Amino acid sequence: MEQDIQTWVKLAAYSGAGLSIGLGAIGAAIGEGYTAAQANSAVSRNPALAGDVFKSMLVGQAIAESASIFSLVVAMILLFSNIPATSFITVAAVFAAGLSMGFGAIGSGVGAGFPAGAACIGMVRQPAMSAKLTTNMLIGSAVCQTPSIFALVISFILIFSDFGSHPLWPTWGAMLGAGLAAGLSAIGSGIGGGVVAGASSEGIARQPTSVSSVTNIMLLGQAIAQTPAILGLLVAFILIFKEFGATDTIAPAIALLSSGLCMGIGGIGPGIGEGIASSGGVKWIARNEKEIGTLTRTMLVGMAVAESTAIYSMVISLVLIFVV
Amino acid sequence: MEELGKIHQLIIPLFGHNMVFNLDAIVFTWTVMLLILLFGVLSARKRGMIPGSLQVLGELFVSKLYDLTEDALGREMAKKYAPLVCALFMFLVLCNWIGIIPHMEEPTKDLNTPLSLGVMGFFIAHFVGIKTKGFKAYISEYFEPFFIMMPLNLIGEVAKIVSISFRLFGNIMGGSIIILVVSYLTYSILLPPFLNAFFGLFVGAIQAFVFTMLTVVYISVQAK
Amino acid sequence: MAIEGADLVKAAAFLGAGISMGLGAIGPGVGEGMAAAKACEAIGRNPKEAGLLTRTMLVGQAVSESTGIYSLVVSLLLLFVV
Repeated sequence: MEQDIQTWVKLAAYSGAGLSIGLGAIGAAIGEGYTAAQANSAVSRNPALAGDVFKSMLVGQAIAESASIFSLVVAMILLFSNIPATSFITVAAVFAAGLSMGFGAIGSGVGAGFPAGAACIGMVRQPAMSAKLTTNMLIGSAVCQTPSIFALVISFILIFSDFGSHPLWPTWGAMLGAGLAAGLSAIGSGIGGGVVAGASSEGIARQPTSVSSVTNIMLLGQAIAQTPAILGLLVAFILIFKEFGATDTIAPAIALLSSGLCMGIGGIGPGIGEGIASSGGVKWIARNEKEIGTLTRTMLVGMAVAESTAIYSMVISLVLIFVV
Repeated sequence: MEELGKIHQLIIPLFGHNMVFNLDAIVFTWTVMLLILLFGVLSARKRGMIPGSLQVLGELFVSKLYDLTEDALGREMAKKYAPLVCALFMFLVLCNWIGIIPHMEEPTKDLNTPLSLGVMGFFIAHFVGIKTKGFKAYISEYFEPFFIMMPLNLIGEVAKIVSISFRLFGNIMGGSIIILVVSYLTYSILLPPFLNAFFGLFVGAIQAFVFTMLTVVYISVQAK
Repeated sequence: MAIEGADLVKAAAFLGAGISMGLGAIGPGVGEGMAAAKACEAIGRNPKEAGLLTRTMLVGQAVSESTGIYSLVVSLLLLFVV
């Protein structure tokens, strides 16, 4: 029987590794491709600046890649490390670790492409600003990697925790749910943060005098657009660390799995929506800096309303965990 | 692929208590510190109006980073925090680059190094926040926009430490894993040097810069 | 472990509740974001009408949120009534 668990854990680890890097490669590829396309169109506008644009394209792509490098790290750990298998919960946990990192890398990869592309175009429009644009792009795309880092943390915890004494039913559902919650909710926040950062790079290129206020509002917008990912992280933590009593029916396990799924999918839309809302604010603060107070207020109100559906999802998933 | 197995022994100490790996990190952290000291002493020893090559390098470096800090923090605070920023960037760049020398490991490949630097940045930023705004205004920021948002704001602040340190750690770790795997597959012929140049020099420098800039940005967000 | 019919129905209801709220949150989230972005654009162009524009934005968002609330109701029904 001991051997049997080991085989199942290996099976789950290998399929989790495949899913991790397979799903994780989607986002970075799209983001980098978008950056390259924007860089090409920038060069065609002003071929004399080809060298500068090429440099900033490479830097932007190097950052967009880091989410899929995290996926690679998780996949390699799953493939080559000896995971101690004490119970069948480890099977679910290892598979969930792959799912979490795989889904989690999609959003940040796609998102990091937007600021890099906008910086390439902006550099051609406003060559004097290229240093400031590069700094802004670096900060923006680095911050939009944060959701994928949350997913990385959850997959590390899932791989390295010891679940020896927990009952198999319903804990396996909780593990899968935790992976899905952290991974899926990172998609929306990653893309949303990228949209905001793209708008700020574009805004700086249009109106170079607005650099400092645009960068600050961008950071504020990205921080709020990350709320769905933080809610997903919270639900994942609860699912991993709460002790569940043993049950002999399948319903509780499915309820825990479903609570993770609910928070994960529910975080996608609000994350993207908040990013779009904030990008509108950032774009027009750059063009009309006098109205920064009114615009910031409107942007914050709009984002708070857009977030309400993520909060409904969290309520449903907490009900699924604690009440049902 | 035995070397890959070794890497995993290097990862597991995150949650266990394997001291061998930490010793590695300590030794190479001290090496980096010595290198920085050496650079500082050598570049500042013979100062003159006609600078030597090392002095030019040092001046270029410090003035660029000083300008960046001044852009984000303003003239007054830049005077105080620019030395910190320069030191942080130099340390991180050297930490990330030291791995391209054979038999040397990046200290940043151990999560503890980026984590402790992230915690340091966090405390500095919040100290600046309390100092410039006063304690009352600092606390009341956690209750915005609504009172109920307090736990989320708190998590958001702590999440900054996690994100800033795991970003650096994941990139450096991932780079070294890729180099190992490709070296194994190609029997260490031809490709590894280019990969080292990309992941060691290029990504290492970018991630060091990102870490430094984010620390500056966190300070400036707290100061306003 | 014996799986009975009633147990299976309960499990399906839980799964349905989660999926209902999760998928139902995507549309309103994105839609409300677009509304807010356009409101910011309009205020940037014409700051004098900020009050009217903010009100219009909030009404539009409230309407587009109704589908999200339908999902919430359906999933609460699935959880507690079925």
